Amino acid sequence: MENNNTMGLIFSGNPEVNLGELMKVRSLAAVPVGGRYRIIDFMLSNMVNSGIVNVGITTGYKHRSLSDHLGSGKAWDMARKQNGLFILSPPEGLEFATRPTEGVDFIDSAMSYLQRSRQEYVMLSDCNTICNIDFDEVIKFHFEKEADITVVCTEVGELTPKELGKHIMLECEDDGRVTDIQVYPKKQNSKLSYMHIFFIKKDFLIDLVGECLSHDRHSISRDILLANVDKRRIFGYKFDGYRKKIDSIKSFYQFNLELLDSGVRHEVFGVDETRSIHTKVKDSVPTKYGRDAEVKNSFVADGCCIEGTVENSIIFRGVKIGKNSVVKNSIVMQNSRIMDDCWVENAIFDKEVILCNGKKLVGQTTYPLCIGKRTIV
Amino acid sequence: MKSKECVAMILAGGQGSRLGILTKDVAKPAVPFGGKYRIIDFPLSNCTHSGITTVGVLTQYQPLELNTYIGNGQPWDLDRNDGGVYVLPPYVSAEKGEWYKGTANAIYQNISFISRFDPEYVVILSGDHIYKMDYSKMIKAHKKANAVATIAVIEVPWDEASRFGIMNTDEDMNIVEFEEKPANPKSNLASMGVYVFNWKQLREYLINDENDPDSDNDFGKNIIPQMLADGNKMLAYRFDGYWKDVGTIQSLWEANMNLLSDNPGYLLDDENWRIFSRNPAMPPHYLSPESRVKNCYITEGCEIMGDVQNSVIFEGVTVEEGAVIRDSVIFPCAHIKKGAVVTKAMIGSNSVIGEKAEIGAMGEDAVNDFLNTKICSDGITLIAPEISVADGVKIGACSMVTETVNA
Repeated sequence: MENNNTMGLIFSGNPEVNLGELMKVRSLAAVPVGGRYRIIDFMLSNMVNSGIVNVGITTGYKHRSLSDHLGSGKAWDMARKQNGLFILSPPEGLEFATRPTEGVDFIDSAMSYLQRSRQEYVMLSDCNTICNIDFDEVIKFHFEKEADITVVCTEVGELTPKELGKHIMLECEDDGRVTDIQVYPKKQNSKLSYMHIFFIKKDFLIDLVGECLSHDRHSISRDILLANVDKRRIFGYKFDGYRKKIDSIKSFYQFNLELLDSGVRHEVFGVDETRSIHTKVKDSVPTKYGRDAEVKNSFVADGCCIEGTVENSIIFRGVKIGKNSVVKNSIVMQNSRIMDDCWVENAIFDKEVILCNGKKLVGQTTYPLCIGKRTIV
Repeated sequence: MKSKECVAMILAGGQGSRLGILTKDVAKPAVPFGGKYRIIDFPLSNCTHSGITTVGVLTQYQPLELNTYIGNGQPWDLDRNDGGVYVLPPYVSAEKGEWYKGTANAIYQNISFISRFDPEYVVILSGDHIYKMDYSKMIKAHKKANAVATIAVIEVPWDEASRFGIMNTDEDMNIVEFEEKPANPKSNLASMGVYVFNWKQLREYLINDENDPDSDNDFGKNIIPQMLADGNKMLAYRFDGYWKDVGTIQSLWEANMNLLSDNPGYLLDDENWRIFSRNPAMPPHYLSPESRVKNCYITEGCEIMGDVQNSVIFEGVTVEEGAVIRDSVIFPCAHIKKGAVVTKAMIGSNSVIGEKAEIGAMGEDAVNDFLNTKICSDGITLIAPEISVADGVKIGACSMVTETVNA
């Protein structure tokens, strides 16, 4: 059933994330991932699969690639007369200094969309946490607890001080009531980490945003969540499934390779629950394996032509790998071409990279080599 | 209704009985082909690429799957405000209602549909061939020659010519004679079942043909010979590319295997002439550390742990550890369990082949209860969709297994 009273708002950017070369030409949400997807596909599909069919996506100034990808929203079944997908371009004509940079400003820039929509509740989310989550459960939890705000969190192990600096930690009572929020703490007091997803009544959100901006406050975690911990009923919904936050080249590389694990793969792509992740359709042909192909433990999309050896790798649509070439522990994006007699190890190839005959490129497992879009080596 | 220069009509009502169990519940044009397509994707994609955006699909036999597959035509860009794709089943009117009696009758019954668009030309296509063709070039030739009808022809080997409808032409490619399956062919130009007609004239011929109680209401048997007899200008349009009738199990298997050859005769992976299809939302396929894959076509959603060679694997197929697949076509979401051996077979959608079962077995101990050399020629074994073959069962080559086989 469609969830007619909840709308979605997804933030396509995140100023704290840097994927280097991969984000030179596109926003975070549009970064290719998992063989045929973009980062945005996961959160957007989660919303659609949960029956949230009015979804706005805020964009920064580098949104061409994302707009191309989303189009009318057809691939997500979101090209509709009522509701559907809304790409919320940044406000035009603003001075550089007044362009939105933080969460509250982005919500504010979507204000007219929020007000115009008929739904009473909003699910807000960052785009860069990859998981397959049923928002129906979150919404049910919210009403059961009579919460004002429900934040989604997940249990984490012991974190290093460096990792802790990227987490927002929650302290909760047994029933889930959030008693404290620690933004990027120095010391770990809790095992619950906020997943940058929250559910709230729309009118309440609009009030909070107005209040924040009138006091020159701009942070969602500090000024909307933390500031209301004592005043309002904030509850933490614990998500137990697989999730991976992509916030660096390293975590990007790890997530892709973790897809080689069948448990992770089946869960993320919702194979058993028919909660599929949708993406733009390319009508590529099936992948052709040549007579001398040697492929082990790899995740391969359609439209490829593989004649060489591939191990532990993620191969996107339309990639060609020539004879006697070896590709190991690598991510090769759409339409890249590795010609004959090459050796590629621990590397990330952006789209349309060409590696000429006989070239060798080797990165480190801890620091993969990243080759920018359309590079010819 | 805005008038259209050209409307295409795809004849998709055929049962395709020579495809045996594959067409028990689906019409022939909905039969899967080439790893991710249905046969009808070819004429539909050809129409879109040729700029023909008003397409009627005439269905009759087992239309449910075909109708849902075509849907609103969006995968082929045929969801249009003006025109687009229409599924046209036979219907009952105030006077009478009847099935489509023949190919010509099917078009006759849809005269009012075509007339709404007031087209100059009508392209008649069949929904059971694999080929990539630019119909707009053919229409151009038709216009240039000022013909009443133009028929696409392809050169076939002389020794096979007697299996086809053969066009005998003069040096300007004007058709002088049409012979259906001639014993002693005078030409090796076979009709591809692709026709361009001037709608005005065709309409008259269809009405006259309907009024003739002795007619079979068939294009090849009645309309074309009658048009020729009346001295109309009829052009043969030569097509040089790959064209394959996939009307039999053997030809369907061959057409799939053609894709694996070094020179398949046509480019499926052509940026400018993509074959569109309704894509299921499935992740990329996964090949495990134990897998061995050579000379294969594999598509999304598959999990391959076994040894697969010279085969075409459709979406969502699972091949477990130790399973061996050779020279086969595995239809969507089939499941081949551990240690099973599949040789020169076609495995229907969603079917399950049990552990250590053998399909296409040659040994003495093979089950030959399902032998059907009429449908399964050339040593091909066919397993129906939605059934299972129990662990350890050996199904002999040339079988057509139509129901679940228990141990």
